[in-house]
Amino acid sequence: MMGAALSIALALQQASPSPALQHLHAGVEANQSGQLDQALAEFQKASELDPKLAAAFVDLGAVFIEKRDYAAAIPPLKRALELSPDIEGGHRLLGFALLAQGYASEAIPHLAKAHEDDTVGIALLEAGKLPEAFAALQKSLAKNPNDPDLLYYYGRAAGLLSKQVFDDLEARFPDSARAHQMMAEDYAALRELPSAEREFNEALKLRPQTAGLHLDLGELYARAQQWDKAEEQFRLEAELQPGSAFAAYRLGESLLQLGKFHEARKALAHSNELKPDMPETLYQLGKAESLDNDNAAAQKSWAHLLSLESDTPLAAQAHFGLAGIYRKQGKATEAEHEMEQFRKLQSKPAQPDDSQK
Amino acid sequence: MNRRITRRDFLEAFAAMGLALPLFDVKHPRGLDFSHVNSPTPQKYLIETMGGGVALFDYNNDGLLDIFLVNSGKLANPMHAPETFDRQNPQNWNRLYRQNPDGSFTDVTKEAGLANAGDGNYGMGVAVGDYDNDGYPDLYITNYGKNTLYHNNGDGTFTDVTAKAGVAAGGWSCSAGFFDYDNDGHLDLFVTRYMLWDTQHSKICGNEWQTYCPPGTFPATTSILYRNRGDGTFEDVSEHSRIAASKGRALGVAFADYDDDGFTDIFVSNDGMRQFLFHNNGDGTFTERGLEAGAALTADGKPLSGMGTVFQDYDNDGRPDILVTVLPREVYALFHNEGDGTFSYRSLQSGLGLLSAASSGWGVGLEDFNNDGWKDLFVAQSHVLDNVEQIDHMLHYKEPPLLALNHEGRFERADSGIAAPLAGRGAAFGDINNDGWIDAVLTSLGGEPLFLLNHASGPAHWLSITLRGTRSNRDGLGARVQVNGQTRFATTAGSYISASDKRLHFGLGAAETAKVDIRWPSGTHQVLENVKANQFLEIREEQKS
Repeated sequence: MMGAALSIALALQQASPSPALQHLHAGVEANQSGQLDQALAEFQKASELDPKLAAAFVDLGAVFIEKRDYAAAIPPLKRALELSPDIEGGHRLLGFALLAQGYASEAIPHLAKAHEDDTVGIALLEAGKLPEAFAALQKSLAKNPNDPDLLYYYGRAAGLLSKQVFDDLEARFPDSARAHQMMAEDYAALRELPSAEREFNEALKLRPQTAGLHLDLGELYARAQQWDKAEEQFRLEAELQPGSAFAAYRLGESLLQLGKFHEARKALAHSNELKPDMPETLYQLGKAESLDNDNAAAQKSWAHLLSLESDTPLAAQAHFGLAGIYRKQGKATEAEHEMEQFRKLQSKPAQPDDSQK
Repeated sequence: MNRRITRRDFLEAFAAMGLALPLFDVKHPRGLDFSHVNSPTPQKYLIETMGGGVALFDYNNDGLLDIFLVNSGKLANPMHAPETFDRQNPQNWNRLYRQNPDGSFTDVTKEAGLANAGDGNYGMGVAVGDYDNDGYPDLYITNYGKNTLYHNNGDGTFTDVTAKAGVAAGGWSCSAGFFDYDNDGHLDLFVTRYMLWDTQHSKICGNEWQTYCPPGTFPATTSILYRNRGDGTFEDVSEHSRIAASKGRALGVAFADYDDDGFTDIFVSNDGMRQFLFHNNGDGTFTERGLEAGAALTADGKPLSGMGTVFQDYDNDGRPDILVTVLPREVYALFHNEGDGTFSYRSLQSGLGLLSAASSGWGVGLEDFNNDGWKDLFVAQSHVLDNVEQIDHMLHYKEPPLLALNHEGRFERADSGIAAPLAGRGAAFGDINNDGWIDAVLTSLGGEPLFLLNHASGPAHWLSITLRGTRSNRDGLGARVQVNGQTRFATTAGSYISASDKRLHFGLGAAETAKVDIRWPSGTHQVLENVKANQFLEIREEQKS
């Protein structure tokens, strides 16, 4: 009811209410009691009786917006702003109506005048002004970090901006290492293994020291279950970035898959040193230690994991691993205790286990 | 005088030069003209993608392995009740091929009385066993519908005795196997059932690409245990034995005595859930111990898409281990028998992580293909979804089978000689041409079977043993046979919906003699010393009081 509030204020400025103002007043009352059609008729009458009464046009536009008839709202709001260009509420309403009708570029100055930062960002996005939209939405999100609409538009702006930049990269530098990397990542997302592999290798040929390229190629091979090739790439990444805990972690995982348990253990232990207390690393480290026949070390790693988290799928796996160790050691009670914990945590298996139903 | 140079001479020359050659020749023997009919429809009925089985057995006791192939049938789009599959059409018959002395085959389906598989039965698999101890192997056919027991009359014909025997089951049966769980000398029958499903309650899954639904979409169900009364009839003891207490999505079954207590245990591979290890309590009941024994889940505690399975000793420690074939992004599961009633997951140690992570496995065998004394691995492979390549470009629907040679407990890929990918399903193993080297037959969903003759060469020796039970069941199924440090449990079951040669084949490597140690299901212990290599040997169970 922004328009209604405005009209009341304006009406109060009149010494003796004219017939137009009387209709305006009646319109405000009707609007406040939810009688939108009655309000519409009153505002219409007021604007006819006094064609220079800006408040009547603003209120008329506001009721149309309330009735979701954005097309009908635009002419009276434009007229109101011709009559009184500084009515902030008029700019806000016209900006909304224009944006709702798809006239994003036209809406932007009106929304800006009304200081509607959130909606300006959205209008900029719809108008294809991506860098400006990204900046505006980022600013809005800083003020309202928990607004799902803002998060959505911010994500969309980031995605579109990223695509625009990558398109530009491809158009202007098609033979660059980064263009090949970008193509490789696109193919990888589509699971097009041969094409992704070709583009990664092109990128590596042009700039072999690029951080992350071997890692991404390794991830591609890992997704294709080609663990021997994955190991090679993760190893190269780990050599290139000796401080990367993630590269060491992925190297360890691939070595595990290949049955090279001692090497896997070393890589995972290194990852754990670089970035301690990562549950994923601790789980895989325990597994490597167990497979490397060092059950004492495995117990320690898994116990540490369980001290960090107790009700996650990784915790369940750690309990299952510990049960196996205790079983081997002939500690039936301890093994059963761990299995009990494992069963408890298996609340959401990948496939429901309805064997006892 | 010019001696004719044979293919074997040629291969041996290559082997002497240290050159590795493909192990199998893909043959198209004269007379073997089977083509599997599965009739895929846009309805994506799950049964379409699961058949059909194969059996290698000597039905007429002429010393030559014959081949039985299970057909599936015609599906309408969509199916209407009552369900029929046009099984009277010869194109949809199961087929029995008799092997001739020249290596060719003759289709004897009609004269053997095996032509009509029942119009309401969509075919799945086959089990082989001499349930009445008359010396002639009988056939049990599993179906979506009713199963069929064919008694081998010994004169080249079979009689459908299902009704009399009481083993029709019903629902959707997959793998089955004969074994003697109570050691009474009569073969009992275990039948896996996949899920509660029928064409009228089918579903289609997927979004952009419509495809077969995962197993968890449909309710689990029970497998069936039939006890052989010894009079040609069977009793359903699923409830009494506690087999029915565990509902699964069972596709494969294999038998062995894993805890050395003298009673045969059962391993059941389940799809998309934990696996079952039914411990035989020796009193007619079983306890499902998969989880406690460490043979139900991966090392990470995750369920498996269990399909085919084999229960034999892969590392020559004298104890039967379990291998389960699964879908890609899992790894074929190898559960190593620790000797204390438990198993450890050893897929990664054995090299299966590298060999199988991108593949889907079905029929499987642990057989010594190069006669070096270590059981090698052979797997029929193909994804379950015929349009998987559209859904995930990194996976393949058709795949060549996997051959991996066993190097003292670690498997390494070898050239099988089969380059062309196929939709592999069933697999049966046996020495088809009686040359001392194990051969294989693979079925292909909706296609022709692969007939694989092993042409490995070299100085390695072998021994093939046929058991002749007297107090035990006639074929000695369930016996533990140890030869020069190797162990096999006598069985025709295992793999996936298929049955293999009952003869026990041992590669002896350089050894020219063997010590044979047999523990019969009756408990009789029999040892033969200095048995000559390179022979087919029948061993009769000693008659002891």
